[in-house]
Amino acid sequence: MSKISAVLIDLSGTLHVEELAIPGTQAALQLLRKHVQVKFVTNTTKESQSLLYERLKTCGFQIEKHEIFTSLVAARDLILQNHYRPFFILDDRAMEDFEGIPTEDPNAVVIGLAPEKFNDSTMTAAFRLIKEKNASLIAIHKGRYYQKKDGLHLGPGAYVSGLEYSTGVKAEVVGKPEKLFFEAALKTLGKDVDFSNAVMIGDDVNDDVLGAIQAGMRGILVKTGKFRDGDDLKVRNVANSFVEAVDMIIGNKVEND
Amino acid sequence: MSNGRAVNGFLLDITGVLYNSIYKSDGIAIPKSAEAVNFLYQHSKVKFLSNAKGNSNRNVARRLQRLGINVREEDVITPAPVVAQYLRENDLRPHLFVRDDVLEYFHGIDTTSPNCVVMGEVEEGFSFDRINRAFRVLIDMPKPLLITMGNGKFFQRIDGPCIDVGAFAAALKFSTNCEVLNIGKPSHFYFEQGMNALGMKPEEIVMIGDDLMSDVGGAQACGMRGIQVRTGKWRPDFEKMGVTPDLTADCLFDAVKQIADNGFRL
Repeated sequence: MSKISAVLIDLSGTLHVEELAIPGTQAALQLLRKHVQVKFVTNTTKESQSLLYERLKTCGFQIEKHEIFTSLVAARDLILQNHYRPFFILDDRAMEDFEGIPTEDPNAVVIGLAPEKFNDSTMTAAFRLIKEKNASLIAIHKGRYYQKKDGLHLGPGAYVSGLEYSTGVKAEVVGKPEKLFFEAALKTLGKDVDFSNAVMIGDDVNDDVLGAIQAGMRGILVKTGKFRDGDDLKVRNVANSFVEAVDMIIGNKVEND
Repeated sequence: MSNGRAVNGFLLDITGVLYNSIYKSDGIAIPKSAEAVNFLYQHSKVKFLSNAKGNSNRNVARRLQRLGINVREEDVITPAPVVAQYLRENDLRPHLFVRDDVLEYFHGIDTTSPNCVVMGEVEEGFSFDRINRAFRVLIDMPKPLLITMGNGKFFQRIDGPCIDVGAFAAALKFSTNCEVLNIGKPSHFYFEQGMNALGMKPEEIVMIGDDLMSDVGGAQACGMRGIQVRTGKWRPDFEKMGVTPDLTADCLFDAVKQIADNGFRL
């Protein structure tokens, strides 16, 4: 077990649920910072970097805005590189991260999380662009579902899979669990960081933990947020919460995946 | 086209073969489909095997009658009553995600603590709230089962292609890992309903439809002959999709005429 030097940390369901911090996580984060470098990586698709930053401050976390690496930021890079003019299926609040990008005569469908837009008419509009205008299909991420205070909600992966089924076109996925996403996040921490001494902490067994393992990192699953019984059987490193995950890292108890 | 094998019975798809769908209206009859139906009633045997999930068989027949196409209610086969029968035979308790118009078929079926979701919505019935409710019911099941009325990728409306129930089934499968049971074309079980209604073996029957995979390919996989019409959702690129129809015709009337002129052989 090589010593961990960098930690990627999921936000929603790992540090907080909506506006409430998970107990003990603020202090645990401060403790962790004394030992390793951290970056906050999130697939939250409806919120801009500034909005996430404000929420974490409200929850009592000591954090800098630039420490948050989101799938929206990664998507913006992809759109600019490919000269996409997107039809956005995104929450209005996320649009802040896409200011200035042309959208007339769309040649791409970009899907994030916009629950109220997951309906027949939006799906049909997207279907027609892909099928009749050869538009590309871009998924900010392919999350299966996520936790809100009132229960579980379908994630954007559901819409994306539906469109893939009906159009026969495969989506290009930007966020977790894509290897490129984890790589880009780690790269921001400097040259010395590599996959073998990095770990990802998250509540999503597929997108956080198994994704990180696939990318060559280690992963710790926390039993908070969207965790469901049985998820813990799929991975080696499991913690009751972020607080316990921090103890595992400091105590050098994270097993190789 | 001479000789060939006898054609004793016809299964016809409805939407895109008899009429074209228009949003919030009865739609519009495809030219000469009414004559083709009358001809088949007089000279052969015919049943209508549809994946239509929005209306009861009675209302499907009435709509066609309003368009001047004389289809009898008892000759219409749609998924909802077949699903209801399947639920009764297998002691399944559904969460119903269906149109009000087909609820009558599910009367008397226990819907408490559901062990499956039955999905047969259309168009704006697929609201986020209703999809998410179905999702929550599925994710809480030890062995999630989604019974879907057809698994179509899209259907053709006059204003363009529209997303169909198959997309929402794929969405729910992705997020819940549920088993998906399609009771609708192209499932063998559903084609059997058509064979039983005609009282014939599959090799005696031709299926005529506008959906290459679901109608033509599905029928062929069951031992029937499959006929593609160039109406409804038909597209030129169908010819490169790996299913070869036993006959391709410009429309229903044309298909029926070719078979009749050949002494009901194909």
